[in-house]
Amino acid sequence: MMGDAHPLLQVKDVSKSYFDNGKEFKILDLIRFELTERDFVCLVGPSGCGKSTLLRIIVGLDAPTSGQVLFEGHPIRADNPQVAMVFQSFALFPWLTVAQNVELGLEALHEDPAKRRAVAKKFIDAVGLTGFENAYPRELSGGMKQRVGIARALAIEPLLLCMDEPFSSLDALTAQNLRDEILQLWSNPDLPPEAVLMVTHSIEEAVYLADRVIVLSSRPGRMVAELEIDLPRPRNRKDPEFYGWVDEIYSLIV
Amino acid sequence: MRGLRGRLRILAGILIATGVGTAIAFPDAARTAAILPVLALFSISRMVAAYLLSLVFAISYGHTAATNKRAATVLLPIMDILQSIPILGFFPFVIAFFVQGPLGDLLGSEIAAVFLIFTSMAWNMAFGVYESITTLPADLDQAARSFGLVGWLRFRLLAFPAMVPKLVYNSILSWTNGWFFLVASEIITTPSKNIVRPGLGSFIFLAGNRGDLGGIAVGIACLATVVLLLDIFLWRPMSVWSERFRIETTAAGERASLHVPSPYERLRWLPRFSRLRREVARRVQPLLDGYARSSAKLDRVYSSHRRVIRAVRRADIGLFLAIFVIVVATGLVGVVGFFLRPLPSGAKDLPVAAAFSFLRLLLAYLSALAWTIPVAAWLGRSKWAARFVTPAFEISASIPATALQPLIIGFAVAITMGGYFAGEIGAYLVSLFAMQWYLLFNLIAGVRSIPGDLDEAARAFGLRGRTYWRRLLLPALVPSLATGSITAWGAGWNALIVAEYLQFGRSVYSVTGLGASLFQATVVTGDYAMGYLTVLAMTVVVLTLNKLLWRPIYKRAAVKYRMDV
Repeated sequence: MMGDAHPLLQVKDVSKSYFDNGKEFKILDLIRFELTERDFVCLVGPSGCGKSTLLRIIVGLDAPTSGQVLFEGHPIRADNPQVAMVFQSFALFPWLTVAQNVELGLEALHEDPAKRRAVAKKFIDAVGLTGFENAYPRELSGGMKQRVGIARALAIEPLLLCMDEPFSSLDALTAQNLRDEILQLWSNPDLPPEAVLMVTHSIEEAVYLADRVIVLSSRPGRMVAELEIDLPRPRNRKDPEFYGWVDEIYSLIV
Repeated sequence: MRGLRGRLRILAGILIATGVGTAIAFPDAARTAAILPVLALFSISRMVAAYLLSLVFAISYGHTAATNKRAATVLLPIMDILQSIPILGFFPFVIAFFVQGPLGDLLGSEIAAVFLIFTSMAWNMAFGVYESITTLPADLDQAARSFGLVGWLRFRLLAFPAMVPKLVYNSILSWTNGWFFLVASEIITTPSKNIVRPGLGSFIFLAGNRGDLGGIAVGIACLATVVLLLDIFLWRPMSVWSERFRIETTAAGERASLHVPSPYERLRWLPRFSRLRREVARRVQPLLDGYARSSAKLDRVYSSHRRVIRAVRRADIGLFLAIFVIVVATGLVGVVGFFLRPLPSGAKDLPVAAAFSFLRLLLAYLSALAWTIPVAAWLGRSKWAARFVTPAFEISASIPATALQPLIIGFAVAITMGGYFAGEIGAYLVSLFAMQWYLLFNLIAGVRSIPGDLDEAARAFGLRGRTYWRRLLLPALVPSLATGSITAWGAGWNALIVAEYLQFGRSVYSVTGLGASLFQATVVTGDYAMGYLTVLAMTVVVLTLNKLLWRPIYKRAAVKYRMDV
């Protein structure tokens, strides 16, 4: 497999600026990191540090002002089916049923309808929405909507799953359940994805989920630190070691 | 539901019995009534033809304007101008173009009518499409891009569904506009001849010419019935259906409603014909399968030949621009030609005519405001009124002002005993009827959109009477008042064209104004140069009012009095 020669994802000196009336506003400054298979990386930073912009550049939805993003050694494209995205606002199409939303990426890949249905069923079951195939997004609660978002991303069987604050518009209890489910999916070798890259502003969430946490400073977003979280799983939030990590990252941001 | 259906049967029975009875008692009237459905069919086919054209046009025009920045620099101003000018003023020239061309009276006048209705329907729909695409939430767009939805697939799954709510809403508006112009387009008068096309509009008009009040009433009733039936069986279900396509702006996990209503839920009491429907569904299924197959094929073709498709689209827009440049150039040459020749003798009267027309509309507008604001405040807040009174207004509003014209002038003649003021009162009333409904329904919507907590807060702090109006109701109504006023004035200018020159029986009631000058020039004297000049004057007045008065007001209202805090 050609992936062996390269890391899965390489973010090479990515900078991003906006120009307003000839004035330059720098948002991201020389971001550089790599992701390999089996990685679970969280990007943490205060609001306004450009972490969502960075994620959009990484999946190819936005172009960097300078620098480069390589996926398996090639420049990233937004429609790359090896990379899937989960949105903070769920971004479900309100006029499509749960099953049709999950089939979206497969339809773009021109899979035949029977296969599409089978794959969608598999992932709807995997996120625990069996029986809701024909419901419309508006009939679902926030947690269920995000499950659909996750199933839709997994259905194209991506190597890399990118998530933009996926739990921040959910209530605390639902968010915690979904975090555990994401970990389960990620550690299940039969199911995608190989690696996860997640943006969050919650330090606790990052320490709970990630192998590696990349800390960004605000305006412009610079990499402050890259930390390996070597706590054993399942992690316990009451653990003093857990809190040691949270405090360390907190002090890095403030 | 059973009881309701039973009562319905009794009602239908009574209606049929009365109908048969009347037919036996008045055989002449019955003969007239018998051709009404046929006439209605003629009128509806014109509307449908114009609507289908508008639909295709609006989608492609709005979509291009929203997605292609270079094209938008040209397409947007055109849309803006054509949406606001009184297109009825251009009708005589459109007729001259089509009827005097090689097409002949029959085909030419039909095409001219459909064209006129089309221009009255297309622009607000195109604008709706444009708005839906440009206000598409960024996250949906990004989701579509990251899952590789491009070309036809993107249009089918994202762009088209997103435009459905505004397209349906604007279709309803367009049909209301369309009826107004349909009635005006079925009688075509040129200096040399009158062309009468069969339809409800011409039926009403001819009855007016005969001074036959019964005929007018029957014609108007029939038109109102058609409009209402279409509303009940087509547009209301469509707008319920379009709710499914509404994009929720709240990202938070609140459930909007658990239940997605079926379009025909409110008509459940109608017979279902389940066997017939199953049969039809069975026959239609191969068509649907065919559609699915061909759209899959189209997706594939589209994605494998992107360069060809881009070239086609460029050529398409290029062609449009070329035609546009040619049209503008000829128009400019024409205008320059005008001013090189001595102006028509009537030209010096135009400023006075414009002032009279404006004052007439202003009077109609102010009287419309005077009654619609209090009525809307009452209708918007009372459940009982909304249930029983609003439908009555909706029925009255469904009759286009052009159809009421013979009735209004008949009334004006009766109260003034045929004096000069019959024309003035007639023109004023026709304008009033064209303007008032837009104000009323926009204001009702405005009252309903006042958030409940604001209303409760006002009451909790003891705001009552004048203070309540001054501090809550009137400020909250400003945005809907602005929208309603723009639409009302647009409709008013169009109405003026038919309102200032009214015929009843053998008499003509004409007043001083741009509408009357236009009629005089294009129909009576056949002085087309003067006609052009009048339309030009009217367009200039309307565009100036829009740019200097309405737009600034609207912009301020939109910023200052918005409710979405």
